[in-house]
Amino acid sequence: MRAVSSIPEYYKIVEEVFEKYKDEEFLFVGRYSQRWDSIEKIKGRALFTADFTKLYSNLVYVHSVRTKHAHALIKSIDVSEASKYPGVLRIITAKDIPGINDVGYVIPDQPLIADRKVRYVGDIVALVVAEDPLVAREAGELISVEYEPLTVITNPLDVVDLMTLKEKPHVLVHDERGSDILVHFKIRRGDVEKAMREADVRVEGVYKTPFQEHAYMEPEASIAIPEPDGSVTVIASTQCPFDVRRAVAKVLGLTLNKVRIVVPAVGGGFGGKEDVANEVAAKAALAAVFTGRPALALHTREESIIGHSKRHPAIAWYRHAAKRDGTLLAVEANVVMDGGAYASLGPFVPWRATVHATGPYKVQSARVDVVRVYTNNVYAGAFRGFGNPQVIFAVERQMDRLAEELGMDPVKLRLKNILRVGDETVHGQKLTEEHGVGLEEAVMKAVEASNWFELRRKYSEITGPVRKGIGIALFYHGNSIGVEGADYSSVTLIINRDGSVTIRTGLTEFGQGSTWGLALIAAEILGVPPSYFKIENPDTSATPDAGPTVASRATVMGGAATVVAAYKLRKRLNEVASQILGCDPDDIVIRAPEVYCSSDPNRKTRWADVIEQSFWLGVPLQEFGYYRAPRALWDEETGQGAPYITYTFGAVVADVEVDVETGLVRVNKLYTAYDIGKVINRMGAELNAEGGAIQALGYALMEELIHDKEGRVSNPNLSTYYIPTIKDVPEIIPLWVEARYRKGPLGAKGFGEPSFNAVAAAIANAVAHAIKTNVAELPITPERVYMMLKSRQT
Amino acid sequence: MSRVSTPRGYRDTYRDIEVSFKVNGREVRVKVKPYERLLDVLRNKLGLLSVKEGCGRGECGACVVIMNGKLIPTCLTLAVRAEGSEILTLEGIAPEGKLHAIQKALLDTYAMQCGFCFPGVIMASKYLLDKNPDPTEEEIKDALDGNLCRCGSYLRFIKAVKLASKYIKEGKVFFDESEVMR
Amino acid sequence: MFRFDTYVPRNLRDALEASRIYGEELLPIAGGTDLMVLYRQGLVKFRMLLDLWPLRNSLSYVRLEEGLVKIGALTTIDVLESSELLKDKRFAGFRDACRKFASPFIKSVATVGGNIGAAHPLSDIAITLLTYDASVRLKSLESERVIPLKNFYLDKRKTIRKSDELITEVFFNEPPSNASSVFIKLDRRFGHGMGYAAVSVYAELDGELVEEVRIAFDSMGRAFPERALITEGFLKNRELSEDNISRAVYEVLPSEMRRISDYRASAEYRLYISQVLLKRALLEVSKRVRGE
Repeated sequence: MRAVSSIPEYYKIVEEVFEKYKDEEFLFVGRYSQRWDSIEKIKGRALFTADFTKLYSNLVYVHSVRTKHAHALIKSIDVSEASKYPGVLRIITAKDIPGINDVGYVIPDQPLIADRKVRYVGDIVALVVAEDPLVAREAGELISVEYEPLTVITNPLDVVDLMTLKEKPHVLVHDERGSDILVHFKIRRGDVEKAMREADVRVEGVYKTPFQEHAYMEPEASIAIPEPDGSVTVIASTQCPFDVRRAVAKVLGLTLNKVRIVVPAVGGGFGGKEDVANEVAAKAALAAVFTGRPALALHTREESIIGHSKRHPAIAWYRHAAKRDGTLLAVEANVVMDGGAYASLGPFVPWRATVHATGPYKVQSARVDVVRVYTNNVYAGAFRGFGNPQVIFAVERQMDRLAEELGMDPVKLRLKNILRVGDETVHGQKLTEEHGVGLEEAVMKAVEASNWFELRRKYSEITGPVRKGIGIALFYHGNSIGVEGADYSSVTLIINRDGSVTIRTGLTEFGQGSTWGLALIAAEILGVPPSYFKIENPDTSATPDAGPTVASRATVMGGAATVVAAYKLRKRLNEVASQILGCDPDDIVIRAPEVYCSSDPNRKTRWADVIEQSFWLGVPLQEFGYYRAPRALWDEETGQGAPYITYTFGAVVADVEVDVETGLVRVNKLYTAYDIGKVINRMGAELNAEGGAIQALGYALMEELIHDKEGRVSNPNLSTYYIPTIKDVPEIIPLWVEARYRKGPLGAKGFGEPSFNAVAAAIANAVAHAIKTNVAELPITPERVYMMLKSRQT
Repeated sequence: MSRVSTPRGYRDTYRDIEVSFKVNGREVRVKVKPYERLLDVLRNKLGLLSVKEGCGRGECGACVVIMNGKLIPTCLTLAVRAEGSEILTLEGIAPEGKLHAIQKALLDTYAMQCGFCFPGVIMASKYLLDKNPDPTEEEIKDALDGNLCRCGSYLRFIKAVKLASKYIKEGKVFFDESEVMR
Repeated sequence: MFRFDTYVPRNLRDALEASRIYGEELLPIAGGTDLMVLYRQGLVKFRMLLDLWPLRNSLSYVRLEEGLVKIGALTTIDVLESSELLKDKRFAGFRDACRKFASPFIKSVATVGGNIGAAHPLSDIAITLLTYDASVRLKSLESERVIPLKNFYLDKRKTIRKSDELITEVFFNEPPSNASSVFIKLDRRFGHGMGYAAVSVYAELDGELVEEVRIAFDSMGRAFPERALITEGFLKNRELSEDNISRAVYEVLPSEMRRISDYRASAEYRLYISQVLLKRALLEVSKRVRGE
């Protein structure tokens, strides 16, 4: 790492602000407040992407014609009949693409329109542009493609061996790469073989998790508008407008400043709208540019399910070694992740899985190998948790089985090994007070609230047709993107001349409400109520690049940038106010609409006057806040370093009952204890805890996207892909621990994904407790429970 | 584009059908295609964008409105069926500048996340409270069973419907926007 | 073709005339909850839809007439659920089936006739009607015929209805006072769902003695709802004891039920859950007849 001669100003500002507010009582941060967009949404006036069609009278529709085969070479494509179909304006194939035919998010392995071959059922072979979407669909049926079918690979273990991780001979999905192993990450620490030899107990198992579908309620949509100067504006349902801009510019062969991406209200993301918008926006942009008219690309629900990324399925072999007293000696793991047809966020998901592969514990020795392979399934990418839920499921099941082997209570075993301040992670990263390490407190809160010890004993004594179980799972979750890329964020704060405030940032809002947290931070530092704030829609032409809204980074990174901007503004305002009131700048108290001296409250003025004075004095009332995370460190051979700036910690306890006759599981209670540092947006945090728990309950009990042997998705709709309904929801008791992160905004840490991570594992552990069998596969459907009970009898 | 010959199966004789009905208290007359869905007509021809398409198959509840007093899925309803009907969408459940008790309650319980499912949830809640002003938790769950919310605000929906029921029983059906707790 | 014409009839006669004229090209649409989904998947193509909506007033009823319970084909599930007649314990199974049928807005528009005509195994109302030994009235322009529901299905998604016929009504004998029924289905979540399997049981009991019993499942081996005749035969004139229930469920039912494995569930689990649901249904129907 190259030496830096001085510490960047923004680090100093964030830490200074942290210190200043450490023991303060907050006015806005940490309290309930109504989101800025809730009124327009409650009235049904908020515009989501597809709603913008109302504004354009000469709109055209883009229909994607998809392949009939999951794996095939394209010998030829004949669009002549379709082109002549009345109502069709244009057919677009791969050869018509003016720029580069690729929409890959990380690596350029994903054509927008298939040219040489198709690799999964969602691959597009042509686009039909027409004035009526049904006409486009009818014309699409007239396109004929000559395919040479290839062997369809739907099992990742046909690509690599789970134990050797060596690639097996097979018909390559990405023959142009020469191999279908995309990435291989490792941890090598200590002496695993020695530990295994000397251990008192060893527990080994294979754990499987499925493809999970985001199922956001708003399907993908983009509207592209051709601008008079040859540039193109795209209204897109996305989490990452700047990445969409790059993709659209690439496909169209335009410079970045000729592409503008605007993000309106977005109906859910959860990681699923990180990269698919590259494709959807590019489709719309092509149609717009070719026809000279606004173009809508809108996915049906079925297209959404087969046509965007999924959670990586994982097959994980684990072996844990421990001493009789419960001390973990070593963890070994081989994890194979099925990446489907394209890379998407696949270069990064297995990295996060690797980092977290041993759980939030002190582990003396570890050998972890995680590979991600290509298959002909729907491609896998980002989904809330990003590789962590998959390994947490395996690790936490292992911990419970270890506890059983040792005759120890699962909580006690965990407490023996959890990371505390002063401990080293499995990567050799020393955790300090600065990071904020609240895991133990989270465990104790969850244990106490759930009445763990009594119920653990009581439930195991129940017999009869309905059994009960209580289970726990712990996790840690590195904040932001680690070594995945340059980790920066930015926010522009503008105080308008009338005293109202505008926030401009490229961070997007898709339900999680984290940008409201930025407003609360700015409100607190400036001293103005949140109601003064308006948050502008992300717009690559007008809002600064804040990095993608992913990796639980919006609050911790965007918030830090907000702190920087607000701090600088406040300093200037204090100066102006001190000139007006005659007391020291540090003496100024702003409680908008009032501003006064703390030493003499009778010396006061108004916020509006301070702003007006600033204008006349030529004191700038806008500020650009930029924050770049401390560099992450990661050795590729050993997995040692400091992979993340800090970690969010948590403990989840699930209280369940199982109807052993039918196999149906009911989760009665979920106790979710999270250390997210300083809680900024309390209402957002609670909603996130509830929402993440419900989505993870789906992952635990009912969700699995299934491919048949031909690579076709068997359940591409919401009646056969089951997500939780209002009747499936348990009582959720959120508990908070605030072990503050010193380098975070007011001590805050990230939470978007942590709210999902350990819930399924906790439920699995509770079910295992209830029916006294091993649970090694998700989802825990009634049929799987039936099979587990049956195997226990034999 | 030129038509060289009529492609197989093509017909361009889908004549418009004129349909007259009442939406949110207003008489309208629209020309619809025989294959158009009520969803498309409400959104694209009448600008009632609160009616959302989440799945197009009647599986998510985002597109529901109240037609002739019944909660119906507009994505499965032919537009021609609107003839002579009375339709209520989210845009029409409260007078201008006011919020219905359900809307107020959802804000009071801080249920809002992405908001996409809300129009459907509000209509389904109104449908319930109109028929059953004092529902039990079971009845609320039954009534909202078809409304999927992936952001996971379900627990708040239950609280909100109970709160809305309380407001309505106290005679408070409509609220000023200014009364919303910030 | 994804675009289509819609024929809006003035009355039943008009509808039947259109059916006669257009034949196979014309498909009747009731609630649309099944047809519109098949259509968007491209599984069914048509030039024209016959909109049955204008006929709903004359074909929506639940009434008792001359010892027959008659249900109009366009009776929606929510109307069926709230009908006074069916609140009687002799029809309890209908209440179960209506309640768990689907989401409220589907119940608003889905119809009894549609549930029968769709010919899908997991048709909750059709399964229940089978246990009432119901008959279907089919009308064409000049004639009318009555087909027992148990003979109505021919194959997957195929019924005996001809393209110029419409289902107008379904009816069955009014049950005696010592009768009741149960409908149960089970899925992998508590929210609405199609179900892994669904069963309806109708029974007339004299004390514990089974005077009459009819059992219908979503599938006995073919791709449509059918009755478990052998299991019925075993239970008839026997006591509805735990022992007999056990034998019926674990010994007799498997001899006549063939289940398939698909991505949703294995044949083994489907058979197993059918047994569990049947057992629960038999226990419950006995309680209901007794008035518990």
